Amino acid sequence: MSSIAEFFQHLVNGLTLGGIYALIALGYTMVYGILKFINFAHGDILMVGAYLGLFIFNFLRGGSAMGPWWFVAFILAMLASMLICALLGMTIEKLAYKPLRKATRLAPLLSAIGVSFMLSNGAAWAWGTQSRKLDYPFDNTPLNVLGISIAPHQILILVVATIMMVALTLFVSKSRMGKAMRATSLDQSTAKLMGINSDQIISLTFGIGSALAACGGMLIALDVKVYATMGTMVGLKAFVAAVVGGIGNIGGAMLGGLLLGLLETFGIALLGIPTSYKDAIAFAVLIIVLLVKPEGIMGKAEKEKV
Amino acid sequence: MKKFFVVLLVALVAVTAVFAGGAKEAATSQVKIGFIGPLTGDYANYGVRCYQAVQLAVDEANAAGGINGAQIILYAEDSEGAPDKALAGFEKLVNNDKVCAIVGAVLTGETLAIAEKAQEEGILLISPSASADGVTDIGSYIFRTTPNDGLQGKVAGYYFAKVLGIKNLGALYAKNDYSQGLYEGMKEAFEAAGGKITIAETCMVGDKDFKTQLTKLRNANVEAVYIPNYTAEMAQQLEQAAQLGMNIQFLSGDGFTDAQIYDLAGDFANGVIYTGPTPGAENQTFINNFKKAFGVDPGTFSTNAYDAANIVINAIKAAGTNRSAIRDAVAATKDYDGVLGLINFESNGDIVATTGVYLVQNQVPVFQGNYTVVDGVLSEVK
Amino acid sequence: MLNFFLLIVIYAGIYALMALGQNMITGYVGILSLCQAGFFAVGSYVTAILSVKLGWSFWATIPVAVVLSALLGVLIGLPTLRLKGDYLAIATLGFAEILRTVINNWDSLTNGPNGISRIPKAEIFGLTIKSKYAYIAVIWFFVLIVYLLFERIAKSRMGRALEAIREDEIAASSMGINITKYKVWAFALGAAAAGLAGCLQALYIGSVMPGTYVFMVSIMALCMVVLGGMGNFAAVILGAFIIQLISYFPQMVGLSNIIPAQARQILFGLILVLMMIYRPQGILGRKERKYRKTTKEASK
Repeated sequence: MSSIAEFFQHLVNGLTLGGIYALIALGYTMVYGILKFINFAHGDILMVGAYLGLFIFNFLRGGSAMGPWWFVAFILAMLASMLICALLGMTIEKLAYKPLRKATRLAPLLSAIGVSFMLSNGAAWAWGTQSRKLDYPFDNTPLNVLGISIAPHQILILVVATIMMVALTLFVSKSRMGKAMRATSLDQSTAKLMGINSDQIISLTFGIGSALAACGGMLIALDVKVYATMGTMVGLKAFVAAVVGGIGNIGGAMLGGLLLGLLETFGIALLGIPTSYKDAIAFAVLIIVLLVKPEGIMGKAEKEKV
Repeated sequence: MKKFFVVLLVALVAVTAVFAGGAKEAATSQVKIGFIGPLTGDYANYGVRCYQAVQLAVDEANAAGGINGAQIILYAEDSEGAPDKALAGFEKLVNNDKVCAIVGAVLTGETLAIAEKAQEEGILLISPSASADGVTDIGSYIFRTTPNDGLQGKVAGYYFAKVLGIKNLGALYAKNDYSQGLYEGMKEAFEAAGGKITIAETCMVGDKDFKTQLTKLRNANVEAVYIPNYTAEMAQQLEQAAQLGMNIQFLSGDGFTDAQIYDLAGDFANGVIYTGPTPGAENQTFINNFKKAFGVDPGTFSTNAYDAANIVINAIKAAGTNRSAIRDAVAATKDYDGVLGLINFESNGDIVATTGVYLVQNQVPVFQGNYTVVDGVLSEVK
Repeated sequence: MLNFFLLIVIYAGIYALMALGQNMITGYVGILSLCQAGFFAVGSYVTAILSVKLGWSFWATIPVAVVLSALLGVLIGLPTLRLKGDYLAIATLGFAEILRTVINNWDSLTNGPNGISRIPKAEIFGLTIKSKYAYIAVIWFFVLIVYLLFERIAKSRMGRALEAIREDEIAASSMGINITKYKVWAFALGAAAAGLAGCLQALYIGSVMPGTYVFMVSIMALCMVVLGGMGNFAAVILGAFIIQLISYFPQMVGLSNIIPAQARQILFGLILVLMMIYRPQGILGRKERKYRKTTKEASK
């Protein structure tokens, strides 16, 4: 295998990983942009989304091979899981975070950790501790393109992630609700004065962020397995991606996610960093980026007023 | 808001009183044994499967009339995979519940932490899965029903080099006690037998994406790749290797005995050669009963946990509930015919073990032979 | 049950030290650091390595562990302390994770994932510390020392500077307070306390392994600070005790025999959420310090 083909092989692998990180990072960044708090339960919503998607998909298939209809079933399962997770996210916001809007900033953080405990252990209780697998409804024999192996599911992941990111960008930049969201994140009290119902916008933000997490969960289910603690590390890394890109910045989250996916892959493959240091790469990158540009790659520096 | 805490405090005290009172009513016709393992957290699946196997053994014994008419009660404590939590569970089992023997713990690290206390307290601790070298050397009360990594790794290393004739080998192992232990045992023997480890890649427990490591292994032109790991991770690795178009011999360890591998990896598991315990005659019955009771396949160490529990139960039957008598009875176990095969213990508490070698064909493991290593020589045991 | 309660008292003492350190950093100066698990690990491993591999006595390992943790605190603090709020939180969290990864991989020194076990017991006046009461005495002795020390610092010039920094950094710096210097000092003190907690943990458990020092440990320390009352050292010790009591309560009374292990964790999560909702400022709340009037004012 030539080294160029090897390079592209790592590139494909890195992009798949990065696409998933980016999708999850979006949810973090949106919530942070508006409420300024780290939603530690985000990774667990992802896990719930993956489980729901898996169950609904298996239910729709009914154990039969379904030919080209699998795609419809897959999309339906994904949408249903996204919808349920959106509702779940909004409910959690209402119960666990909304009462804490005026409290110290640490209170919602710890409340989120409590929620995370409840979700991950609740899932282990209800659905067991064993890993589950989403059976590919299609033939997943890798395609060989110029010496690079690309599995069809990797293509599916990249396509779905791209569609989601484009849709979100359009929604936030073009729609009325999107504008209201941006206004709220810029200045909540002024937005209120302009007649924006900020409670509603915050709730919507949680809904959309959770739906994106559910979608990310489904994509992870395609790539790997589904289990109760699957969201913890992915969630943490997606948050790192959001910060690296510039938290609160939607384009930054996408960039950060892709960058992190590529760095993890290439750091090991080309720079020769031992693989067991893989998780450390993400955090080292984070620290370096923050030291050079404390507001993240695409974040805007805020001048502190006296 | 102070009221909230007053109410909480009152509730805590009330619950304490109720349970403390309840605990004392324990009838004399009960025999209590304990289990410690990770029931929540990243390692939950291994702990829960072991716990269920012990529960199954206890339920079966109770259904058959218990121990001389006394019912066996199993208390399980969660270690979360951490030594301090395991120690808390141990304290509770020994001092509050007054169990007479403990099956556990599951991970090597937590087992090491509680083993010393078990030795001090003089209570039998029999681990189904703490496979690192040195666990049983802590004291006379510590036993295990899994061969140590050293033996399994040694058999693997010599088998790969001498029987399979592999000269250069790649490896992908996890940086945890179990996987690294197997790898190191294998490496020592494999190199002693004249083989060469060309490339050794590592991963973390809970990793899901191994494409980078596998790509490197693919490009290293090795004859085979050794992947000692847990079931879910190995399934992932095999599947991703296939996605990367790797057509290479994979080798593994006893994590492969878990039938769940065939659900998760499907046909990707075909062709893998692995080392693992040689099942006894009752193995299939155990698997069926386990599935009937819990709706899932038993896990990697469930068979070891089931046998450990039965050995403890038999010891109590023979020796009563005195902790040191139970220890002596377990040490005197002679040719116990378990689901793992015939079980005897060495003087240090290690299982006298041979390791089977299997080749997976059409998602069914095919027995290749039963081996042990004596003085650096691989020998087949009939 | 008494025996188990004593165990909770021991664990509470170890965590109280960590929480005191966290309080110095977060409660007092207002820096949200999530690195206590890392310093805790350093303390534990220093004790384990020195006493097992080099045969040092436990007491001799303490100063090494404390100084090393503090130095590491300075090393991590210097670059990260110029970050703001949650950026700093995530950067320190990153450092803790990197530390744990290094420990897990540095096989020759730390014995990798297997950890180091059979840490020898400590002796005092020729007697081996063995019973739980002895452990409680030793551990809570250290808690008392650190508490008194931190209280003393809080009342000193440094304490006033730290409070000023928390309330308004820009105003403080315009009053001539060297912000970086004080922040790094607070960070080092907090790290040292966590390092000390690590030594005691290694001594009591008798073994160390990397899986213990996950970021949940840092979160726990933070919970204890918030639950007790930020900036209030006595409240933080109470917070540590209550959190440990809650998490081990089901085991102490035998509730864990009835409910599954996951339910115990869910219960813990629920209590955390409820406590934050009903008492976000902590049980005792912040302690407002009354400073003596300056001599000039007093003489008026």
